Amino acid sequence: MSAIPSTTRTWCLYAGGLLVTLLPLAVLSGDLFWVNILIYTYLFAGLAVAWNIIGGFGGQFSLGHGVFFAVGAYMTARLYLGWEISPWLGMIPGALLCATIGPLVFWPTFRLKGSFFAIATLAFNEVGLVMANYLHTVTGGPRGLQIPFKAGLGNMIFADQCIWALIMFGFMALCVAITIVLMRSRLGYYLLAVREDEEAAHAAGIDVTRVKLRDTALSAALASIGGSLFAMYIRTIDPPTLFSLADIGVKFALIALIGGIGTIIGPVLGAFLIIPAESYLRAVMGGGLPGLHLVVMGGVMLLAALFMRRGVAGALDALWRRRSRSAS
Amino acid sequence: MAAALEKRLMTEPFFSVRNVVKRFAGLVAVDNVSFDVSRGEIVSIIGPNGAGKTTLFNLLTGQLAPNSGEVRLNGALINNLPPDQRAKLGLGRTFQIAKPLIALTVIENTMMGAFLRYPGLRASEKRALAILEQVGLADRANVRASELTLSERRRLEVSRALALEPQLLLLDKVMAGLNPSEVTESIALFRRLHDTGLTILLIEHNLKVVRAFSERVIVLDHGAKIAEGDATTILSTPAVVTAYVGTRKRA
Repeated sequence: MSAIPSTTRTWCLYAGGLLVTLLPLAVLSGDLFWVNILIYTYLFAGLAVAWNIIGGFGGQFSLGHGVFFAVGAYMTARLYLGWEISPWLGMIPGALLCATIGPLVFWPTFRLKGSFFAIATLAFNEVGLVMANYLHTVTGGPRGLQIPFKAGLGNMIFADQCIWALIMFGFMALCVAITIVLMRSRLGYYLLAVREDEEAAHAAGIDVTRVKLRDTALSAALASIGGSLFAMYIRTIDPPTLFSLADIGVKFALIALIGGIGTIIGPVLGAFLIIPAESYLRAVMGGGLPGLHLVVMGGVMLLAALFMRRGVAGALDALWRRRSRSAS
Repeated sequence: MAAALEKRLMTEPFFSVRNVVKRFAGLVAVDNVSFDVSRGEIVSIIGPNGAGKTTLFNLLTGQLAPNSGEVRLNGALINNLPPDQRAKLGLGRTFQIAKPLIALTVIENTMMGAFLRYPGLRASEKRALAILEQVGLADRANVRASELTLSERRRLEVSRALALEPQLLLLDKVMAGLNPSEVTESIALFRRLHDTGLTILLIEHNLKVVRAFSERVIVLDHGAKIAEGDATTILSTPAVVTAYVGTRKRA
């Protein structure tokens, strides 16, 4: 008997799961308020899945992924505004740049462990914010970049929000698929070994630093693509938005944590829990007491931290085990 | 070429340590130690607490680099190679404090080693299962490593090292904390492995183990090698007895 589930079965399972996430779109496609929320949900699900590669499976708790997100956003917007390069192509140089700078800036930081690593990567985000304000010619400085509305497939600008929802869904599906391929390979197993015990991994013939750098590159490239899509969707980007810790940098990690860190479906579950709840609460409570929705979200996260240590995915897993045990 | 290589393999020792020195600031932890291990041998390194055994062991596995001296495996200088590259060259090790990857299953732990020679998922799994049969953990294959007993964790260490298909297996106090029947079982396991042609170098506290199955013993004291020879002779040498248990008066 093999412990590794068969390839076909795995893919069918995940494809089925992803298709289920399209159901709300089918039901709510007429309601612009909810379509907008769904767009963000798919996008942040994809981003959390991308973060989870190095942050969850690799155990390197990065709070600096906002930088990769911002690089993707600026690169795509700048190439489109300056040289009319289609964002579909403009996503690629941003992703490649992040696959290069990600490992470069993380390399010295990998000497730090646990929360020290997290704090150091948090600093990247702040350095990025300063640089974005300063590098006027690329980022437009504090005023940011505005992308005029000129609908067209090549411009990646659409009048129909449902198309955006499908694009973001595609991004999420891409991130999930890449994670599945990775985690069903030797390289994915190595990532787990590095997370569990670097010394043991080293002795088992694993080049620990190379594993971390390679998967940082992958994770950063995907975060950059997410940033590109975000930029083309909202068409106005500025430093405080892109480098916001609460809304971008820390949120990837938070979503993965709530959903279940180091699992494939966890970050998707987390996004479907947090993004709609937050957006809805913001809309409902924002009028009366601004900021009240943050208090409620904070409470939810506190409860999750207290009662679902392994996130939603972990809680479901535990429930499943208990049921199958009592059944047998 | 081939003839030259053959000649080198004939004349050069399989594993050689030459004048190795390791200093920590003012302290000389390993002082000019030299020894050889031939293919197929079982050699023990013993010595009182603080003799430098673990430091020496770390120099051999690549956890530390020596200040001077040479460590060679099959004639290749490995002084400054990191542990993963030494593993590729055929050096497997266990840790004194077992390091199971606790969130993973027993077979996944073993696969981590097996990937080195079998990159494919299925091939690695198959190889790992064969090794688990060998060390008697096959029935625990799909259990999480966190659920293992101490003796099982030790065997898991050995299986992960064996999965690398090493030529030389370095064991760091692999019997520590085991009860007498587990020790007997372990000795039987290492004897079987030795019969398949594996060379074993172990650091051991337990003199019963040393006497039971090492062919040669190297004694360290204050970082230096003070004696070397077959187990029975060495363990009755006065200098060794003094280093190990102190003089009669102090004892």
